[in-house]
Amino acid sequence: MDGFYDAVVIGSGHAGCEAALALSRLNNKTLLTTLNLDSIAFLACNPSIGGTAKGQLASEIDALGGEMGINADKNILQLRMLNMGKGVAVHSLRAQVDKHAYHATMKETLENQKNLFIKQCEVVDIITKDGKVTGVKTNFGEVINCRSIVVCTGVYLDSRIIIGEYTKSSGPNGFVNAVGLSESLKNLGFEILRFKTGTPARVLSSSINYNKFEVQEGDEGIQTFSYLTKKQPKNACVCYLGYTNEKTHEIIRNNLSRAPMFSGAIKGVGPRYCPSMEDKVVRFSDKARHQIFLEPEDKFCNEIYVQGFSSSMPVDVQEQMYKSVEGFENVQILRNAYAIEYDCINSLALLPTLEAKHIKGLFFAGQINGTSGYEEAGAQGIIAGINASNYLNNKEPLILRRDEAYIGVLIDDLVTKGTNEPYRMMTSRAEYRLKLRQDNADIRLTPIGRKIGLVSDDRYKIFSKKLKSIEKLNKEIDKKIDSKIAKSFLESHNESFSGNACVIREMLKRSNITIDLLCKELNLFGGYSKQVLKYVETEVKYEGYLKRQEFLIEQAKRNEDIKLSADFDYTQIKGLRLEAQQKLNKFKPLSLGQASRISGVSPADISVLTVFLSLKKDK
Amino acid sequence: MLDTIIAQATPIGKSGVGVIRMSGEKSLEIAKQVFLCKNFVSKPNYMYLGKIDIGQELSDLGFCVYFKAPHSYTGEDVIEFQCHGGMLVAEKIINKCVEKGARRALAGEFSKRAFLNGKMSLDQAEGVIDTINAETENQLKASSNLTKGNLFKEVNKMQESLTDVLSEVEVNLDYPEHDIEYETKENILTKLNKILIDVENLLITSSTGLKIKNGINIAIVGKTNVGKSSLLNALLNYEQAIVTDIEGTTRDIVTGSIEYKGFIFNFFDTAGIRQTKDEIENIGILKARELLQSSDIVLLVLDSSKELNNQDKENLELIKNKKSIVVLNKCDLPSKINFNGDCVKISAKQNLFTEELKEKIYNLSFGTQNIANQIILTNSRHIEILKEVKELLNNLQNTIFDVPLDCVSLDIKTVWEKLGEITGNTANESIIDKIFSKFCLGK
Repeated sequence: MDGFYDAVVIGSGHAGCEAALALSRLNNKTLLTTLNLDSIAFLACNPSIGGTAKGQLASEIDALGGEMGINADKNILQLRMLNMGKGVAVHSLRAQVDKHAYHATMKETLENQKNLFIKQCEVVDIITKDGKVTGVKTNFGEVINCRSIVVCTGVYLDSRIIIGEYTKSSGPNGFVNAVGLSESLKNLGFEILRFKTGTPARVLSSSINYNKFEVQEGDEGIQTFSYLTKKQPKNACVCYLGYTNEKTHEIIRNNLSRAPMFSGAIKGVGPRYCPSMEDKVVRFSDKARHQIFLEPEDKFCNEIYVQGFSSSMPVDVQEQMYKSVEGFENVQILRNAYAIEYDCINSLALLPTLEAKHIKGLFFAGQINGTSGYEEAGAQGIIAGINASNYLNNKEPLILRRDEAYIGVLIDDLVTKGTNEPYRMMTSRAEYRLKLRQDNADIRLTPIGRKIGLVSDDRYKIFSKKLKSIEKLNKEIDKKIDSKIAKSFLESHNESFSGNACVIREMLKRSNITIDLLCKELNLFGGYSKQVLKYVETEVKYEGYLKRQEFLIEQAKRNEDIKLSADFDYTQIKGLRLEAQQKLNKFKPLSLGQASRISGVSPADISVLTVFLSLKKDK
Repeated sequence: MLDTIIAQATPIGKSGVGVIRMSGEKSLEIAKQVFLCKNFVSKPNYMYLGKIDIGQELSDLGFCVYFKAPHSYTGEDVIEFQCHGGMLVAEKIINKCVEKGARRALAGEFSKRAFLNGKMSLDQAEGVIDTINAETENQLKASSNLTKGNLFKEVNKMQESLTDVLSEVEVNLDYPEHDIEYETKENILTKLNKILIDVENLLITSSTGLKIKNGINIAIVGKTNVGKSSLLNALLNYEQAIVTDIEGTTRDIVTGSIEYKGFIFNFFDTAGIRQTKDEIENIGILKARELLQSSDIVLLVLDSSKELNNQDKENLELIKNKKSIVVLNKCDLPSKINFNGDCVKISAKQNLFTEELKEKIYNLSFGTQNIANQIILTNSRHIEILKEVKELLNNLQNTIFDVPLDCVSLDIKTVWEKLGEITGNTANESIIDKIFSKFCLGK
């Protein structure tokens, strides 16, 4: 290996791939290390990308110039838009993807990337000098010099697989794990947490009686993750919905003493939103059945992922549990369900740039920070990559605000509140959800990505064209149409003809009038793309709510703009309550807004802090 | 961008002068509607004398100063009113301005704006820290008070119900594929209606609350020489008003307050009502009539040693629609009065039966309700917040079926946050916790 790199990215999961691509695309000589080249962008759990809030994250990564959206679009088996009836802010794209192809195409992208070098090895030590990183040491004893590091170890750090009484030090799916780096991080002063997650069994398709399941078709003609994808993917497969039953639950209850979750064998903290079946049965004992979904792992549809049925029961119990499901009477388990425990760091040790507060040039992204999910990992990966590059090139860091992106919410939550369980993104975590939509991710973030240098000319051309088209359409809807036509059109849709009803914009505000109707019945808006029409319709229909949200954002922003010093001793301020003094001293927030989100800091404390800041300013 | 806020700047309580401060873009516009002065040309930093409208056709003579942004305490456009001290006047001026578009300031909000606009100096800042500390201590004291504790409990309960509704809505949005019994909009509406009723019931108590805080205003009226001033003195137990045999002795209004059973009663002795050509006395009589209308309770005093004359009969007409007590004074003298209605017989001069009168006034003010055990809104900020909550809920009722669920969620959250201004909670975490504790979710 030639001695020196600008950056080393440790781990080639979803965070590592984005970080490595961002760094190398920004012209930094980057080394991506991986325990196993065959695990690049490996979908270790469900074979799908997107879902509520996650679909938004994937589109945001794409809008910034990341790879996840493009790579997912290349490998779609089925595409669905969730939440269609519930308001456009929560419309969420989810795709079943071919997990093997997903890995292969991402590997190919990495291999063809300029400035990017890939090496299969295990990093066992991070080397620092004077509070800065200087290199890494591999399991082969090699020292690789570098000026920055992005740690993306996923669930591989000192991980352990648990299936009933059986446990093994291992990564997911039989891949080797990383055992050296935990100690190195501890020595560098990081607090190590132990989290747990799990995955269900994979079963053989031909052993399933699909007649007992409900078919779930994909949706036709909907937008994809990436704004670059031109070809509409075809729905090549279907999924199925089925249920557990009282018999399944009885088997679980009879074997609880053998469940690692309850016997004490598992010590890691698991996610509340992704409980194992035994956890569901114990916590929600009044429910007579639980849903399970059957999803194909790849285009051959032979190996089936059983979503919702994760477990760490012994294999013989798993066998009984699975076979008790209607349609699974003869099911053949190919890979057993398992729980996995792994090390991660307390994310409160990080700045909003994802750089460690106390070591310059050391960045963290993905599950190592306590999150779960591919999209959450990818989102952190691209930001950590960008900020490592900014650090290397003495540029201003990129910190997305909570009102700019789900990515901003995600990272702010991690570094301000921390997390005591694997963190999953949800739309309810975003207080400005109406603004953070999938349909406007490019409008929110592509200009930022362009400025950073990740948005290609191609992408920017498409984006600029879209903006122009939106502008043109906005002018067009301010026009009036013939009052007779307007009247009969409105009345035919049970809307009254009153006020400025001849102005198209006003018509569009009515709850029964959609832009589709205007197009079809009044022959308006020829030549606009579906996305542009939908976007303008949303902005018009949500105008009142969006304005209200904008007002809240403005108010909050004032506090975000008041910067706090990272070396201030808050015990000096007597007006602060003791708890607030301690919390502020521990977290050292960077802005008044961030301080206000720390749990244990009350609005009254913020008032005191506000006033005190001016005292300091005058001195 | 920020709205216009208003609050009393001088300490709340009785004082010679009260200062009310209003800050924000709309303050001048509001001042022009409230402050009546011919020469008010809104030249900054000049003090104008004029009448401040306090509603119900009353006004207070006072000063108004306009500080133009950025040369003001907050750095925004600021209006300061100087009015007569005392709770009532200041409170009424503030109410008037709120009516015109201002909002009551939260604790420390002026200083926060001053800070945000770079106006806060060292001295001022220290002063404000003291104030904030003092307020926190007061809040601590107040929250140990049973009544306030109960209000917090009540508000928490409302928030808890809202959290319930919200978690159902949110789980519906975040977990679209789960077989959960989703809340229909009809169900959401039913739950919100329950909360609305609770809010309305609380608001009803605010009139009692204000009475507790500011006292009950009682006008003593009657024709001349029936012993109104003697009655005032007897009630106060000291010689506040001049008492003579000369008709028309009392011209201006003489006031005095007593505490009875833990409540404050403010008495207003007025000029005797009669036909006179004396200009000054006529002004006094006019004031008496005004007061008769604005007070909470009227004591109509009649002389029991004489027959009712036309003036008495006219006065009895005047109080017909008011909460009132007819007081037959001079019961120590032989009775000649031809009055059969409900009344209290006393002798102010001999101080006979005045305690009975006080008891009657108390019962008329508060009835026989046991105030100690119920929630009564006394804090005008709380009242303002609950009024806004009521309005938000009303709006939500009207729009819920026309807007999609993600917007309904924002509306409910707005109500939640508004209630949170009373208790100081924040919404997001508790909703997410609720989602996980209530629902069984897979990935």
